[in-house]
Amino acid sequence: MSIYESILVALFCMAVVFFVLGILYFLIRIFSLVLGYVSKPQVAAPVAAGESAVEVVSPQDDFSAGTLVLKDTDEQTAAMIMAIISHESGIPLSELCFKSIRLINKESEAKA
Amino acid sequence: MFIDSLINIWEQSGFTALTWESIVMLIIGFTLVYLAIVKKFEPLLLLPIAFGVILANLPLANLMAEPVGSEPGGLLYYLYLGVKKGIYPSLIFLGIGAMTDFGPLIARPSSLFMGAGAQFGIVMAFIVAIALGFTPQEAGSIGIIGGADGPTAIYTTTRLAPHLLAPIAIAAYSYMALIPLIQPPIMRLLTTQKEREIKMEQVREVSKLEKICFPIVVTVFCVWLLPSVAPLIGMLMLGNLFRESGVVERLSNTAQNALINIVTIFLGVTVGATAEGSQFLKLETIKIIFLGLFAFAFSTVGGLLIGKVMCVLSGGKINPLIGSAGVSAVPMAARVSQVEGQKANPANFLLMHAMGPNVAGVIGSAVAAGVLLALFGQ
Repeated sequence: MSIYESILVALFCMAVVFFVLGILYFLIRIFSLVLGYVSKPQVAAPVAAGESAVEVVSPQDDFSAGTLVLKDTDEQTAAMIMAIISHESGIPLSELCFKSIRLINKESEAKA
Repeated sequence: MFIDSLINIWEQSGFTALTWESIVMLIIGFTLVYLAIVKKFEPLLLLPIAFGVILANLPLANLMAEPVGSEPGGLLYYLYLGVKKGIYPSLIFLGIGAMTDFGPLIARPSSLFMGAGAQFGIVMAFIVAIALGFTPQEAGSIGIIGGADGPTAIYTTTRLAPHLLAPIAIAAYSYMALIPLIQPPIMRLLTTQKEREIKMEQVREVSKLEKICFPIVVTVFCVWLLPSVAPLIGMLMLGNLFRESGVVERLSNTAQNALINIVTIFLGVTVGATAEGSQFLKLETIKIIFLGLFAFAFSTVGGLLIGKVMCVLSGGKINPLIGSAGVSAVPMAARVSQVEGQKANPANFLLMHAMGPNVAGVIGSAVAAGVLLALFGQ
């Protein structure tokens, strides 16, 4: 095979890869839209002002561990705390149930 | 009498059959063991491969010997049939599928283009390999190293150029282990500080139904288009369906733990055992090692360039560093994107975003392998 032919093969190979993955892109977009209409939106439980709620769902069996209440804590920090507890305890995150994570003010604790 | 017995034992021992090739290969085997244990370079695969190299180069052990008449063949000869027939790479893909979460890819399907761009190294290495005098089958097998996907490289090589299996497998897994050293300089060279600092927004949550439909849609479409990728894509997506369906947890657990571990042992030892001195110690091997590095570097470049294009098209919302994760090598390439992103901006969390192109790269390299098999397979 000459170098010229190898360049043509290379171009053909890349074109097929882009074509296949491009079609997959459109397929994913289409079925995401279709399934978005089909599946019902989940309704979150109401939470008090100043608190946010995060649904904790196991990736394996769609089981919900309940609603996690965050007080004065952002979602990123909460995720970090949950991951650390799971790592340190050796218990998979899907088997842990967190009810609430709140920031403790050390000064007010000391006064109390 | 005693002296005769000693002479007899000596003459029947492997020492008398030692050649300089065996000695060099044993040294290579010991070096690979050192790299796997001390340096922790992909130890799960490099250690069995290294021990396979040692076993294959111990004279008169005949572990890879074919059966002759009523004499049975060597142990590794029978285990190697799983490689030769393409069984092990497909079973490893089953395990990888069961371990992989395609959620980030479904949430941001444009990641597929970064996975496609990161196959650039495959075709670049193919062109250079042809220029260096390799046949199209050999060049295709060498190029696939750039896909940074061990099972795909092994599967393609057993179909196109089985005599090159050992150097290609060793090069592929060695470079995968060296991704944290190979990619960062290229990433810093091709991106600006401002681009590396881009913080990406959290992707949407993907429903369970989408995750179940994904492997079915991908399998049907890809196998329709490229039937030669059916063993790889089919097994990858079957494993993923086990995981996402949630009704066959035992099968999913087996695929991602026991099965993949057993197959990894068989695959590693037998691939290592193909590195027999007289076959391995050739100029071709050095060329393959060089071309493998070349392919890895250009795959990284391809992914990054598509990442930069997407950064521009998205109005600066996509960090181009995630493009380099398109070179399969799950999840190491995604970790490299995360590390480089955090070096530029400590508040940057790119890992989940990089997993999209990372798993897209697995599909991309399987598709590229399918094209090469369709063009040059027999």
